[in-house]
Amino acid sequence: MADIYNIKKDLKVEVPSDVDQVFLVAKYDVLKHIRSKRLMAIGVILGLILVLITYLGTYNSTYQHDVAGFVGNYTGFVNTLIVIGVTLFAGDAIVSEFQGRTGYLLFPNPVKKSSLFAGKFLASVGIMSLVIVVYYLVAIVIGLVYTGSFTELSIYSMLLAILYGTAATGVAFLISSVMKTSTASLVLTFFMLFMILTLVASVFSLSGIKPTGELTFEGGTVSDIMQNPYPVDTVSNISMGAGGNGFVLHSFHADVGSAVIIEMAWIAVTFTLGFVAFKRREMVS
Amino acid sequence: MEYPIEIENLVKDYRGGFRAVDALTLKVPKHTFLGFLGPNGAGKTTTIKVLTNMLVATSGKASLNGIDVMTNPKMALADVGAVVETPEFYPYLTPNETLEYLGRLRGMNMPDIQRRSKEVLDVVKMTEWQDKRIGKFSKGMKQRLAIAQALLHEPSVIILDEPTSGLDPRGMFEMREVLRELKKGDYTVFMSSHLMNEVQEVCSDVALINRGKLLKTGSVETLLSEVRMKKIEVRTTKKMEPADFINVGKIPGVQGINALGENAFSLDFNGGDDEQARLLLDMQGAGLKIVTFKESGVALESLYMSLIKDSR
Repeated sequence: MADIYNIKKDLKVEVPSDVDQVFLVAKYDVLKHIRSKRLMAIGVILGLILVLITYLGTYNSTYQHDVAGFVGNYTGFVNTLIVIGVTLFAGDAIVSEFQGRTGYLLFPNPVKKSSLFAGKFLASVGIMSLVIVVYYLVAIVIGLVYTGSFTELSIYSMLLAILYGTAATGVAFLISSVMKTSTASLVLTFFMLFMILTLVASVFSLSGIKPTGELTFEGGTVSDIMQNPYPVDTVSNISMGAGGNGFVLHSFHADVGSAVIIEMAWIAVTFTLGFVAFKRREMVS
Repeated sequence: MEYPIEIENLVKDYRGGFRAVDALTLKVPKHTFLGFLGPNGAGKTTTIKVLTNMLVATSGKASLNGIDVMTNPKMALADVGAVVETPEFYPYLTPNETLEYLGRLRGMNMPDIQRRSKEVLDVVKMTEWQDKRIGKFSKGMKQRLAIAQALLHEPSVIILDEPTSGLDPRGMFEMREVLRELKKGDYTVFMSSHLMNEVQEVCSDVALINRGKLLKTGSVETLLSEVRMKKIEVRTTKKMEPADFINVGKIPGVQGINALGENAFSLDFNGGDDEQARLLLDMQGAGLKIVTFKESGVALESLYMSLIKDSR
């Protein structure tokens, strides 16, 4: 027992670089996701969605010779899957270190807060991307079996989904860095991505203003890209009976090029703001 | 490095204006085991949190091994092991995996991590649980694991925040054994506590703090020599009668008597070692058959209470 207390006999300790620590933090956070029930939950949801869409898609033979249309059935649900995934994997990534008191174990180590934040972000994006890739692979394989063909549009859609998922993770990390409790952070993340931002886009659309820059609107490119030709903005006059009353309905679609740039901007801004909030946050209680 | 831990004019104000640490200046010499003593709310944990980069100081300086914690926390904490409050562990990891994670963050290689993990888990008696997930561990087990991770990379500086807090009597006993062993090593240990007897038992030096201000610092021996008031616990073979208490009360230096049971009592005694030896003889001379006669670890408490009184 005595040797334990005689320090620095033959131990080589050299603090790793910031980048190495980012990957180390990410590795153990991925392990957390793999061992948590949340991954199982998203797996079950993913399975149910795939089974349901496959059943409905093959039941209706409309898409038997249209692989893009067939895979498009699946991409229509990707954004919902992303919102659920981001909520589960990123919604409380930061706040849990404070509320769960694991920060008392992690923070007194020779590691910068930026490495911790980036590592956790990388892990959340990684596991989220894995879910997206699995979903698309299954959809592509089923599409190949059912229609006998493959379209590269599904790959573009998958890449756009990963980009949208990363931007949504940025939003989740920002919320998680400022909220006091995990539950509040999870709930706000879900409603922010599922309802609040969507509602903002809807209000703009109803007013006839294209909601360019709004995240969920730009995320619409994930399913839009599966349509050939790519959908364009339309204006329809909806008549409400013989009296001449009615309203104008605008249908806007984000441009893929600008969506990529705007989503990258969302990633940069939310990541930076989230990190600043995390860095300023103190382990008080 | 003569002073591995240096705190200079440290001030920490919380929101709402509450000043938890008030111009605290403290230097901890190399290879000392310093007890950082104070009541709840004295500013002990806040000071430790500033030292371990969990709080940002309002003003002042804090450095570890000569490196400023506020400007370069990564390097300042490189050779430090810390247990702050009772940390929670990742429930999905086992003790071995946790030590591997922290060891790698600190820059240890895998053979060293494996060797040291075995050693430190053995020291804190957690070997049996090394491959079980931490999720269901008790608070005591987590506290022992917290000590293990602090020792893992053989740091030269160890910072402990009330390490026996939350432990059962056996756990406290085992933890003090670990602390006593640490004292024999080459570490510089900074340990906060509000348990006077614990500090008196394991620390070589002590710093007394109240309301964020340093009241006194020095070696335990020196401070104790300044205190002549002691509490002495006595157990006798027979039941103490009122007359026995009266006789004991007449012995020079006895300031007060508190019955602790039918055949046990404690004395507030003012005197040095010679007077204390005389006290035992006088009590025996008064007809008491004494089974045990021991100084309880409250000499420091007496000093502390008088300092707190003065600081108010």
